[in-house]
Amino acid sequence: MGLPIPHSKLGMWLFLATEIMFFSAFIGAYIVLRAGSPGWPTDANITHIHVWAGGLNTFVLILSSFFVVLALEGMKAQNFAKARRYLCLTLLLACVFLGIKTYEYYGKYSHDILPGHIPETPRMAIDKSMREMKQVVDSRTIALANFKLPAKPEPAKTEASVELAGVTDEKTKEITPPVEELRRKLQAELDAPDTSESRKKELFAFFALETKYRDLNNRALNESITLQEMNQELDTLQKNPDYGAFLAPVHHLQPIIYGNLFASVYFLLTGFHALHVVIGMILFVIVLLQGKRLCEKWSDYVENIGLYWHFVDLVWIFLFPLIYII
Amino acid sequence: MSEQQSHSHVKYSTIFFALCGCTVLSILFDFVDLREKNLLGLNGVVLLSLVVLSIACAKALFVMIYFMHLKFEGRWKYVLLSPTIILAMGLTIAMIPDIGIHYYTNESPQIDYLEQAQQAASESGSANNTEKSHVK
Repeated sequence: MGLPIPHSKLGMWLFLATEIMFFSAFIGAYIVLRAGSPGWPTDANITHIHVWAGGLNTFVLILSSFFVVLALEGMKAQNFAKARRYLCLTLLLACVFLGIKTYEYYGKYSHDILPGHIPETPRMAIDKSMREMKQVVDSRTIALANFKLPAKPEPAKTEASVELAGVTDEKTKEITPPVEELRRKLQAELDAPDTSESRKKELFAFFALETKYRDLNNRALNESITLQEMNQELDTLQKNPDYGAFLAPVHHLQPIIYGNLFASVYFLLTGFHALHVVIGMILFVIVLLQGKRLCEKWSDYVENIGLYWHFVDLVWIFLFPLIYII
Repeated sequence: MSEQQSHSHVKYSTIFFALCGCTVLSILFDFVDLREKNLLGLNGVVLLSLVVLSIACAKALFVMIYFMHLKFEGRWKYVLLSPTIILAMGLTIAMIPDIGIHYYTNESPQIDYLEQAQQAASESGSANNTEKSHVK
């Protein structure tokens, strides 16, 4: 008695059953959160989710699934060279998939579409831009003063002035030392008669930027600047020939309602899927390392990793419409 | 043996092309963009979801039946997969009343902002101002 399949295959199917539960918990949570959040971001210009990238990745995974089937066919027909060839191609396609995924993740990273980083209202967007600008000004102060940062750059102090913008104005009005001390040193250097011309020019540009930052920060604290005005100001500053280049880390302001929830779900779902792809690649590498020693003993192994790989494809088949189209 | 093999080879490639066709169909529905339309008395997003998820289910069935050889397996497949799929769907359905339907009053800054943005868009008569709102 017993099932007419190898134990390893039964084990793989039982494992896949648990995997179905694992992914359906995440996918189900996504569907429910999406349905319960009016105004969920869907515009590709805002979420930077490109249907062509998802479509291409779907094609890549489907093709790799097809190749796995052909590899298994090769194993069963004892044509091990064919099996190796198709397993190699599958591994290559898995690399292509991860490459496209990396490109997509990089796009999210460069637009700062990361969980916890996304402003959801205009006020939050303005606060964020001031926080980023303060970091630019502070790091420029430190660089100009040739001051070496301590191992831990005291995050509480550097964020204090803008993190609480609009909440505790008393605290935000003054910049805490040591940056303030460095600034005073720089001011003294600018006023000193023996400072070289090039250094003076550098310091002058820095103080122009700093004054602009203080002005914008005050307007942000008084709530006397709108989102469009702030974006225009930042665009103008970034075009400035003297200090515009330093402002590259300051992002264009774009509040996204439910952006953080969206980013969390996106990275959770695609991240776990990518992890499964990496594990699949390791399984393929193990069999490919056998080289010419590949024999019929490995037939069950190839069948099982094939099942696993089809499952990875299956998950993506659902993720593609859910994330990229709907 | 070789005849049987070539037969299955053709079949697998047919499945592969069917899967590609389904993917193209999904992308076409993205370009048609049903979100703004109300067809058959259904909200655009709901209709789009139904269409693309049906296509996804068809693709999933193709992969499971042919690529994962479920068509050729014994009855154990039902014993193993039915409870899993029922529980997986049950898990999702169980979450709907709590988060999806909001039987409680839902207060969040996002919703306030959404209302403000929609109001501002309707007042200015232009919903294209992406600075004000990204809501379609």
